[in-house]
Amino acid sequence: MRATLPHRGLAIGGAILGLVALAALLAPWLSPHDPYAQDVTQRLIPPAWYDKGSWEHLLGTDKLGRDYLSRLLHGARVSLLIGLAAALISGLIGTTLGVLAGYFGGRVDALVSYVVTTRLALPVVLVALAMASLVGGSLKVVIVLLGLLLWDRFAIVTRSATQQLRDAEFIAAAQALGAPTHWILLRELLPNLAGALTVVATLEMAHAILLESTLSFLGLGVQPPTPSWGLMVAEGKAYMFFQPWVIVIPGVVLALLVLGINLAGDGLRDLGAPDGRN
Amino acid sequence: MLAYILRRLLVALGVMLTVAVVSFMLLHLSGDLATAIAGPESSAADIEKVRVQYGLDRPVAAQFADWLGAALRLDFGRSFYFQNTVMELVGERLPVTLKLGAVSLLLAVAVAIPLGVLAALHRDGWIDRLSLAVAVVGQAMPNFWFALTLVLVFGVGLKWLPVAGNTGWQHFVLPALALGYYAMPSLMRLTRAGMLDVLGCDYIRTARAKGLRPARIVFKHALRNAIIPVMALAAVELGFMLGGSVVIESVFSLQGLGQLAWDSISRNDYPVVQAVVLIIAVFYIGLTFVADVVNAALDPRMRTR
Amino acid sequence: MKHLSLTLWLATAAVAAHAGKANDTLVYASDNEVENVSPYHNNMREGVILAAMAWDTLVYRDLKTGEYKPQLATSWKWESPTALVLELRQGVSFHNGDRFGADDVVYTFNVVTAADAKIATRQNTDWIKSAEKLGDYRVRINLKAPFPAALEYLSGPTPIYPAAYFKKAGLEGYSKQPVGTGPYKITAIVPGQGVTLVRNPVYYKDSPLGQPRIGTIRFAVVRDPEARAAQLMTGAVDWIWRVPADQAESLKAAPNTTVLSGETMRVGFVSINNNGSTPEAAPFKDVRVRQAVNHAINRKGLADSLVRGGSQPVFAPCFRTQFGCDTAKVTAYDYNPAKARALLAEAGYANGFDTDLWAYRERDYAEAIIGDLRKVGIRARLHFVQYPALRTELRSGRAPLSFQAWGSFGVNDASAFVGNFFKGGPDDTAKDPQVIALLQTADSTVDKAERKARYAQALQRISAQAMWAPVVSYSTNYAFTSELKFDAQADELPRFFQASWK
Repeated sequence: MRATLPHRGLAIGGAILGLVALAALLAPWLSPHDPYAQDVTQRLIPPAWYDKGSWEHLLGTDKLGRDYLSRLLHGARVSLLIGLAAALISGLIGTTLGVLAGYFGGRVDALVSYVVTTRLALPVVLVALAMASLVGGSLKVVIVLLGLLLWDRFAIVTRSATQQLRDAEFIAAAQALGAPTHWILLRELLPNLAGALTVVATLEMAHAILLESTLSFLGLGVQPPTPSWGLMVAEGKAYMFFQPWVIVIPGVVLALLVLGINLAGDGLRDLGAPDGRN
Repeated sequence: MLAYILRRLLVALGVMLTVAVVSFMLLHLSGDLATAIAGPESSAADIEKVRVQYGLDRPVAAQFADWLGAALRLDFGRSFYFQNTVMELVGERLPVTLKLGAVSLLLAVAVAIPLGVLAALHRDGWIDRLSLAVAVVGQAMPNFWFALTLVLVFGVGLKWLPVAGNTGWQHFVLPALALGYYAMPSLMRLTRAGMLDVLGCDYIRTARAKGLRPARIVFKHALRNAIIPVMALAAVELGFMLGGSVVIESVFSLQGLGQLAWDSISRNDYPVVQAVVLIIAVFYIGLTFVADVVNAALDPRMRTR
Repeated sequence: MKHLSLTLWLATAAVAAHAGKANDTLVYASDNEVENVSPYHNNMREGVILAAMAWDTLVYRDLKTGEYKPQLATSWKWESPTALVLELRQGVSFHNGDRFGADDVVYTFNVVTAADAKIATRQNTDWIKSAEKLGDYRVRINLKAPFPAALEYLSGPTPIYPAAYFKKAGLEGYSKQPVGTGPYKITAIVPGQGVTLVRNPVYYKDSPLGQPRIGTIRFAVVRDPEARAAQLMTGAVDWIWRVPADQAESLKAAPNTTVLSGETMRVGFVSINNNGSTPEAAPFKDVRVRQAVNHAINRKGLADSLVRGGSQPVFAPCFRTQFGCDTAKVTAYDYNPAKARALLAEAGYANGFDTDLWAYRERDYAEAIIGDLRKVGIRARLHFVQYPALRTELRSGRAPLSFQAWGSFGVNDASAFVGNFFKGGPDDTAKDPQVIALLQTADSTVDKAERKARYAQALQRISAQAMWAPVVSYSTNYAFTSELKFDAQADELPRFFQASWK
């Protein structure tokens, strides 16, 4: 029973992720309307299953008359793009720091640990808000900001994984053969970290997506009229008492995406450590 | 033991200093401070006057030393926006955020520990799977969305609890739920893992063999040992909550530190932002330091690194 | 199903206890806090509301007839077109007990509003040269030049400060514990959160404002429109305004809640930086681009679908009831996206361009306008900030476009609107010498016909050159507990001192 759990989680998570990725990729073709086309005479039409709804706008329209379904699909692109890009940037930074710390130990390790502790001590949301307000929020800014702030787990995990592998035989063999350090790190060490890296990458992707939605909710993330699920919740907040679907739909989809990513990540991690230890 | 504490203290102080530098840079990155203070209608002569008056013509390092020195005396200068000093503003809002953090943590722990214990005792049972599911789903929901849903259902719909302000204890229930639920899954998992570890140990089996009742075993032995890392994590989570309270405070109109920071960011009131970032970081560093020491004091294995 | 959820919320709203009447405390909520409660040192509407409760002016304008009546001044006479002599009322005291007299008027107009004093809106007192004491209860106000709207301004944004107390406390002390002669006393200010006022028991009986009836009034700052609505529905707050049209519709059906709607003097507009140096502002130097902006905005759509409540499209920087707002020769740009695109192409922007739009209020309207602009190729990024941040960007010339709304401080004279934005002051984004000259002449003529003609010329040039893109007049929706008797006026100044419980 225990053995099937990670597989089930991975399957469900992977399915959700796949669905969202498909929606994001095919958004321009699947969207019935242009997500930016506004028509103030068609505002706040409810989804098709309400009595005032219509099949022309399956999920209704938002406060400026833009088709909700189209914005939802295009929002998937934004969320996935941010998740992937931020995870990539933070992955690069964190892995570099972690590997260097784990492999060389000593002073390098102490320095990296110090940097990590400092990063952990900063209140991420506030710092992100402050930086975003200095340069102005936008898609690019959000990606760079999140990439620069979310590398800590990468560093911690790769550091301990590298420490474990440092004394392995194949490393010693390569060193004995006189291979240059960078070659050892890139060709011997890194591939063995792939498993741990994938797990952390999925978790940080989810983290980045949630953080972006928070920033957009507060107004310093993606700017309108670009559709972002967090922004859609923020925009829908004004109508949540009487037209609740405006925040329920993007919130649910956001939660589903993050859930899918987390399940997939957990599943991958449990696959690699079947006795349930982290 | 003492050496360990001293080492951790040194690191903690070093990190605080670094954070102070980062905070300070935040202010100076925001452009010409003198123009910001003097206001857009001032002439070049006015701006120069302000520059000298605030000591902005001195080298950055000297300014930082001044700021840090004043900060140590809890003098963070004046707000650019209000007529009050930064400490006055912070002093008003800090209790609210601390109250919020404390209640959130209490709620999270009150749910997480029993759930984790039950899950460990009935491993793979329905409680275990349910709590795992709740944990996973819980961490996927954006906290602002959860907060809005709480407002909608409990505040406006059922009218059980107020949705804004901070005068009574009822005002903290919904916000604490919204802030605390995010910490609950990790605390629960750690409790569960800790319990599982301890329950499998020799001395527990011995106790069972001796005929001690299961409940006694659980509470007297297993829980006491499993709880230590959980408490440490709880302290760290509190630190996170203090830093992440901005969204919850904004949704519930709780006039706390997070909302002050957010408002000040939107108004370019940088002295306040600097001070809040530093204060929250200091709290976090302090809490992790305490957590580390507690862990080390109760578990000799932790002290050799 | 939509109606089910609506009735569910409203049915449960009936259970709410409105504590207001029971405690004789009226709690009103608005979105902006006031950075400095001293009326000369803020230009927020929320500040104007507080000013009306805690301070008095020399003159009072009757709401129905428009006549000027005595308030702190009992009578006045024009000695010459630039000298006004006023007899002051005796027996009035400030909230701290000091007696009101000529010294206070002189101090207010000579010191508080002096050239080097950092007051928020120069426009309101710039026309005054000096004030002289002629006797304990007699003053002369000297004007820089004949100013026909003098009495209008003396009945509006010119509260009288206590000389002795202000000298002692200084601006900082005064801001924390302000003192005036008005029907309410400010007893507590919590920065960023709110202000508490209590009834002034010794408010002079002959005041045209009448006697205050509600015992305690609290102003609560609640930035979020939904939070305000939620607080009204749960009884934590008794009065809210700036309710979005959609919410207002739904609140009308709520029991125990009264909803009032009406057009206001406030006009929403897009200001354009005609002389920008940044790349985002460069395109707007070309008059064709500015005209394109004017053709791109769907004013009628915005007024009818978004603002509603009697909102009208506006094509000039003034409100139609203001003296001097003669729009006969104003260019009324029609909603024509195709023409806008053609103009842009002519100006060399066939593929449009990227720019920024700054706003601090009514985010919905700003986003709708951005959507309209985007349709013709002008891709504007929204910067939604608080007013002080916007003011800095605007006055330093960094904001190419901004969306704002101006209520003219309730002053029914075009100088309060056009004058503030086109006479060369810090808020002037056009700095057009012809317009500045026309306005200066207009404001120094006492001849009404000539004034009107000059204003008409200025307005004509402003619209022909598309220096701005005025959009719509605002309507505002008030929602409050049915226990309250409250009347709203078009000048958007809620007069709580005239409200009472039913």
